[in-house]
Parts: sequence; structure tokens; C-alpha cells
Amino acid sequence: MESKTHIGVRDLNVWYGPIKVLNHITMDIPDKKITAIIGPSGCGKTTFLKSLNRLIELQDQIKLSGQVLVDGENILDPSLEVTHLRKKLGLLLQRPQVLPMSIYDNVAYGPRIHGMKDKKELNELVEKYLKLANLWTEVNNRLYAPASRLSIGQQQRLCLARTLAIEPEVILGDETTSALDPISAQQIEQLLLKLKNRYTIVLVTHNLRQAKRLADYVIFFYLGDVIEHGPAAEFFTKPRYAKTKAYLEGRFIEDFKIDGEVSLKLLDTLEDSSQLQTILHQLEMGKILKILVEGEETVRKVSSSLENEGHSILEVRRLNSTNWEMIVQKQHVSYNI
Amino acid sequence: MNWRTFEERIMKALMIASLCVVIGSLISILLTIVLKGLPAIRWETVSQTPQGGYYIGKEGGILNAILGSLLLGVGATAVAFVVSLPVAFYLNLYLKKNSRFSYTIRFLFDVLYGVPAIVYGTFGFTLMILWGLKASLLAGIMTVAFMIIPVMARGMDEVLKMVPFELKEASWAMGTTPWETATRVIFKQALPGIVTVILLGFGRAIGDAAAVLLTAGFTDSLPNSLLRPVATLPLAVFFQLATPFPEVQERGYAAAFILTVLILVISLISRILSRQFTRNVVR
Repeated sequence: MESKTHIGVRDLNVWYGPIKVLNHITMDIPDKKITAIIGPSGCGKTTFLKSLNRLIELQDQIKLSGQVLVDGENILDPSLEVTHLRKKLGLLLQRPQVLPMSIYDNVAYGPRIHGMKDKKELNELVEKYLKLANLWTEVNNRLYAPASRLSIGQQQRLCLARTLAIEPEVILGDETTSALDPISAQQIEQLLLKLKNRYTIVLVTHNLRQAKRLADYVIFFYLGDVIEHGPAAEFFTKPRYAKTKAYLEGRFIEDFKIDGEVSLKLLDTLEDSSQLQTILHQLEMGKILKILVEGEETVRKVSSSLENEGHSILEVRRLNSTNWEMIVQKQHVSYNI
Repeated sequence: MNWRTFEERIMKALMIASLCVVIGSLISILLTIVLKGLPAIRWETVSQTPQGGYYIGKEGGILNAILGSLLLGVGATAVAFVVSLPVAFYLNLYLKKNSRFSYTIRFLFDVLYGVPAIVYGTFGFTLMILWGLKASLLAGIMTVAFMIIPVMARGMDEVLKMVPFELKEASWAMGTTPWETATRVIFKQALPGIVTVILLGFGRAIGDAAAVLLTAGFTDSLPNSLLRPVATLPLAVFFQLATPFPEVQERGYAAAFILTVLILVISLISRILSRQFTRNVVR
């Protein structure tokens, strides 16, 4: 199954100098769907996005560890040729950044770089992608005019055409509509919806309503952690964890006040987890317990057993490649007969 | 009138006063050159080499110096450009923004920028002796090129620094190599600035007397070989004004006038060219 997803992330960590901006990110990004990455500013969304095509390397003092698999190949491998990778993953930036050349040359730039020389073929390609980006009718009479003379909305559509012209498999978008006026933003959104059957699209967005309109799959980042990810329908209607709920409801995201801590790391079997039961018993209703767990399988077992008992799981966080941290709030125990 | 208004007025007056000093001195320099140089200009001045006896010439013109200066200026600028553009590209595209190495290189260029022309002259002279060259157009070109490399490398470096990071990112995101980005995108974006820097370097090259004094020599004949001495306008001004003969001195002013006009023309051309090249530039 794994070879079927274009992009898989395995235990990705990113540091800017001494500051860690991404913590043990592990997930698969679904194919031919729109995946929205949401979360407050400065929590690593853009860093994550730019790690996917290694554009992040251009930043100063950046350090990465872990794996990003694109078509099964670890792209963080230093011997990998980035030009080839970036051809596979087209990127749309926040502010449309046209290149200092004509409209035609902007679209033909990528194909030319990647070796297309035939004039006729280029003409067809430029027309095809300008049409796909809904820009052809507006510019077909001035293809050789400087791209910088287009309006900002047109520029973003030109950037989209330019990205599509390198024939990528994945389109990455970094707040692609946030610098645009509402009508241009809507045009871009419709284009993305039109394109999602053919491309895997990953969008960073600040705009929750946009995420609801577009996304099939949602990833929620908070302070460098992925708090929750899942299919959009589920994510927006039944968020699992406390921080996700707070963010979706527009509330301030608070840190948990931890009332107790227990480690299940040394236990052989879960049935043996009397220690956890004792501590839970001692806690008052509504108090919060932090549980350290080893291994993903154990996390699943512990959370299902706790949920069966009626406690709510506020957060599950990966600490490193093997260890996890679960934040649980004690609730009234419901007995199932 | 309260203190703040008073302070405001005083400061504004001081600024206007300094502006007047600058503009006043500029006008008086130009006036001197025009008033003394223009009457000495005849057709022969720009069409003939010095004639009539000794080497600075009582008759004839300064065509030797005009051609020599142009050749030397163009040659040195070309050599310096070929060296400095890759340096500027390397600093801006291959090195990380605030690396210690790039900081050191920029610092060294800034120091070299401040080294007086005569030091470059002596440096060039030393090299000439080492390589067994005589005072010649070639030696002059090399020395002046050395002198303007810091000017051009740092100038272009600043121009390239102004290219928005997003533009590089946009190009890189298409799967280009840094070299393709440099030549196809950044160069186009920075072209107006690069043209300005080239002409700035040319201006320094053509106007300098000290660096060519020891290396290019001086001659009455037209430049005819890379390995022979050439005359230059600044040195023509220097030698002719230093003579006790009024008719020769007059010619010194004519040379100064021509040099000034040349530089004026270059500045105008650079303005027009940069405007031409801004057509595609992204803001």
C-alpha cells in the first residue's frame, strides 16, 4: 500500500539553529486529494510543506532528520537530485511571484529547463496550461508582454500555469490565496477543485473556511507537532483531541495542567497495567494524567481501553521514534453491561 | 516659537546649507572646466595627435589620449566584469545568507575598495616587472581592472542582494539548478542594476590617473598595440597643466572638458539602458 502514496513522512524533525520547529512528524498524504494543513502562525506548516520538496534547505542554519518518502524514495538523502524532485512537486507561493520575463516565457520556463526545445510543442504546452489555469482568454493577445503587468490575481493563475507546465504529480500551495482579492481567491479555489482528480494537492492555509470548502484530508499543526490528522468530514465534525477542538471553535489553545504522570514503558503486557488503574482511581474527576507509552501499537490499545472506560483522551503526541505521550482526562466511569 | 519648532527650522536650514555647499562646488568645478576648456576646443583637438616638437605638443590635439582612455576604460571594465559577476553570483546564490565566509569576502572587498589608486599602480608596476612587461595598454588594463574589481563585485553583490528571495525560491521550485536560476531569472531581474554598476566601474576606470601613471605610461602616438604605452585623458590633463606654457595648459582644460563630457555621456547611456532593461523586472 505504501508505494501507492506519493508522499509519506517518517519521523521528520526540523531545526532552525537551536530551535526545533518540527517534532517527529509521521504520516501519509493521500493521493489525488486535497490535503489542507491548518494551524496557527509559526507552528511549522510552511516548514513542513517546503520540506516536501527540500526548498527548506535554502534557509539559514536548517537541519533535518528523518525521512520524507516520495514515490518510495527518501528525498532527504543528500545524493538525491533535487531538480528532478522539484519537477515532481510543483510549489505555489503565498504571493504570486512571476519571473522577470514575458507571460509566454513564464509558462515555458520549466519545460525549457527540463529540455523541451521544439517551438511548436512549447506553443501547444503554453496554450494548454494557460487554458487549464483559466488565463488563456485574458492573455492570448499579449503573450509576449511582461508578466509583471498582469493583475495580482492573474499573476497567481500564471504561477499556477507555470507550475502545471512542469507536469508535476503533486501541487504544494503555501497560503496560495491569502494575498489575493476575494474573486481571484475564489477562482484559484475552483481551479484547485478542478485539478484534484489529476494531482495530489497539499495546501497550507490559515483560513478554516477555505479548508472546509476544499479539503478532503486535514492535518492540524500546533507548535511543531501534528496534533491530529484525518479525513475532512470526520476532522471537522468529530475532532478527537482537545487542542483541535479549541482551534476549530476559535478558542485560545491552552497548555494542559498535568496532575499526574505515569510511565507504561517498562510493562510487558497491558493487562498488567494496574499501576495506571491505581493512579486513575486516586485522581479526582476532570483531572489530567500524562501517560508515557512505548510503541504505536500500545498507544492504540491504551487509548481504546481508556475510551471504553469513558475517559477522554486530550492529546497523543510523539516524543521520539519509539516513545509517545498521552494526555488523558478522568471522566465518570460508565459501566457497560 | 517653541523649542521644537525652532529645532526643526535650524536643522532644516543646516541641511539646505550642506546641499548648497555640495551643489555650489559641483557647479564651480563644471564652470571652470567649461569656461577654460571649451574655448580651447577645436576640430584638431579631437581629430589629431599632439604635433609640434616635444611630446606634450603645442599644436594638434589629444586624440591619442581620448582613444587611449576609451580603450583602457572598456578593456579594464570588461576584464573586471568577467571576474566580478561570478563572484557576486557565488556570494548570493551558493553561499548561505549570513555565512562567515561571505561576510569575510564582503569585508575584504570593502577594504580593497578603499585602497588608493596609486597603491594599485605600484602593485601593477611590481607585477609588470615580475612578468617582464613594459608600461603598456595591457598592463594599464590589468591594473585598472584590479582597481575596479572591488567596486564592481560589491556593486553587483548589492544589486543581487536586492533580488527578492521569493523570486529565487519560485525559480528553484521549478527544479532549476542555481546556475540556471542565476542566468535566466536573477540576471534578468538585476540587469538594470548591473548596467549601472558596469558604468560606475567604467567611470572610475576612465577617470583614474594614479593607477595608469606607472603602468600605462604616456605617448604621443595613437594606441596601436596592447604591448605599447598609451596616453590617457587624466594624465594628459596632469602633464599639460603642469607645463609653464599657457597654450599647452589650455589643452589640459580641453582634455578635462572632454573627459567630463565622456563621463556625462556614459551616465546618460546608463540611465537609458537601465530603463530599457526594466521592462520585464518584477517588483
